Amino acid sequence: MQPSAITVRSVYKSFGKTRAVNGLSFTVKQAECFGLLGPNGAGKTTMMKMVYGKAERDASPEGVINVLGFDPQYNPLNVRHLLGVVPQDDNLDGELNVYQNLSLFAKFYGLTGSAAEIAIGHLIETMELTDKKRSKIRELSGGMKRRLIIARALLNNPKILILDEPTTGLDPQVRHMIWDKLRLMKKSGITMLLTTHYMEEAFQLCDNLIIMHKGQMIIEGQPRELLAKSIEKYVLDIVNKDSTDKIFDCLNSPAIRADLSTETLHIYSSNIEALNEIASRLKPGDYFLRAANLEDLFIKTTGRALDDAG
Amino acid sequence: MTTRDSYPSLAMRLYSVWYRHMRVYRSNLLSNGLPPFLEPLIFLAGIGLGLGRYVPAFGSVPYVTFLAMGLPVTTAMMTASFECTFGTFINLEFHKVYDGMLAAPITVNNLIIGEMLWAGTKGFFFAFAVVAVTVPFGIIPLPGGLIAPFIGFITGLMFASLSLVVTSYVKTISFFNFYFTGFLSPMFFLSGVVYPLEELPDALKYLAEALPLTHPVRLARAMCMRQLSAALLFDVLYIAAFITLCGYVALKRLRRRLID
Repeated sequence: MQPSAITVRSVYKSFGKTRAVNGLSFTVKQAECFGLLGPNGAGKTTMMKMVYGKAERDASPEGVINVLGFDPQYNPLNVRHLLGVVPQDDNLDGELNVYQNLSLFAKFYGLTGSAAEIAIGHLIETMELTDKKRSKIRELSGGMKRRLIIARALLNNPKILILDEPTTGLDPQVRHMIWDKLRLMKKSGITMLLTTHYMEEAFQLCDNLIIMHKGQMIIEGQPRELLAKSIEKYVLDIVNKDSTDKIFDCLNSPAIRADLSTETLHIYSSNIEALNEIASRLKPGDYFLRAANLEDLFIKTTGRALDDAG
Repeated sequence: MTTRDSYPSLAMRLYSVWYRHMRVYRSNLLSNGLPPFLEPLIFLAGIGLGLGRYVPAFGSVPYVTFLAMGLPVTTAMMTASFECTFGTFINLEFHKVYDGMLAAPITVNNLIIGEMLWAGTKGFFFAFAVVAVTVPFGIIPLPGGLIAPFIGFITGLMFASLSLVVTSYVKTISFFNFYFTGFLSPMFFLSGVVYPLEELPDALKYLAEALPLTHPVRLARAMCMRQLSAALLFDVLYIAAFITLCGYVALKRLRRRLID
């Protein structure tokens, strides 16, 4: 069996009285894409920062973080040399152009001269930024900036790529393009640790994922398996709340699970007949019947309450 | 492409941080590079020639020369202070530049020391600019004046380390006004730049000796005048201790700001 790329065991992280990460354990295998999912404030970014030594875990003899054989807290240079980070914020040097941003960063890895030129040229091409090589950062669109940040993270040919919400705020075209690039990288053997709020993204990219809530792991598994095992197959979304009176008597059936948000009633069931029967009593525009997805599982496990504290 | 076996050496890491700052500075060469040459001219024309006509010569040198010998040091102080207060704060809080750098094989210490070296370099450059524009007018004597940029470098290190300590406490950018108006500006008038300290009452003389700016100013003047004495060793020691102490505190405190 291949050794794991990242091992996290019993890790805690507090900010004052708040526990951002509360006894988290997980293992990321080599060359897999591992997703950290969870609502805002669940501790995803903090966990990622601990993986590359940008944050330090609470002192505890049980707590372990091992990245390719190194503890990021004590050997940050070894770890950062082997991995690339795509942060949530765009932290490019706004005064410089695309090429300069990359060559500056290449120096941080000790990459200079023709070796740097080759690596940069290759990445600019891969990320489809050739036309923008000499453009200043402020002339780039959001999608181009993201691609540049990913290129920057790849400069040293990393073994692990850390992606903190890599496609947030991007249009579908760019998002799909970035997914394709990430798939290619995974194929080439790069291990990925990914956070995202897009369940579709997690479903598309992740081999394994965990859903976190309040610093703890709620559920772990492969996306398809989780969908098969941990949530009903179908959902009936009733968008007109007034029409729920007509089906009130059905809600106690053991075949279904009902979940009411402020304006919508969601009825989950693996039995499509049961849902069809409820739907037949409603007006066509009042409901949608669809297959359950990762987002439904996410809401089932983390609840509907907003938790924006983080 | 292959990954290098090991992360870059300490020298390379410090150089790459220094290089980053130099590269960004250089990208606006005209607006960044011209003022250091114009400012001393304006200052010396306004204060030195204007006011200097009413002030008798100080010992063997005209007033404008007396003033000009301190100027490389004060200008180095100001540029390093700006760099490591507003500059550092903006990189830290607004542009998140350091967050990016800390994802590469750079430690917090590399980052801070590289920043200090860059501020020292700016001190050197700004002091050099003062020497360059004053020497043609015969205001700063040669060859002693050639040492001034090196004292500018050391002054840059001093005020970089002090300013980084200040920055480590600052949550709101306007707070720096206290540092500039409340500390640096008064110190300018109390450190033997505009008048000799010998004339001051004893209490103020002691205060002046405690202030950091006094020591590089005295060194610079002694070098320009080529009047070396053993007493200057005290200034050298003060400067070394100041950089070490402030640098250490800056490293400790900024670490907490940069690593969660």
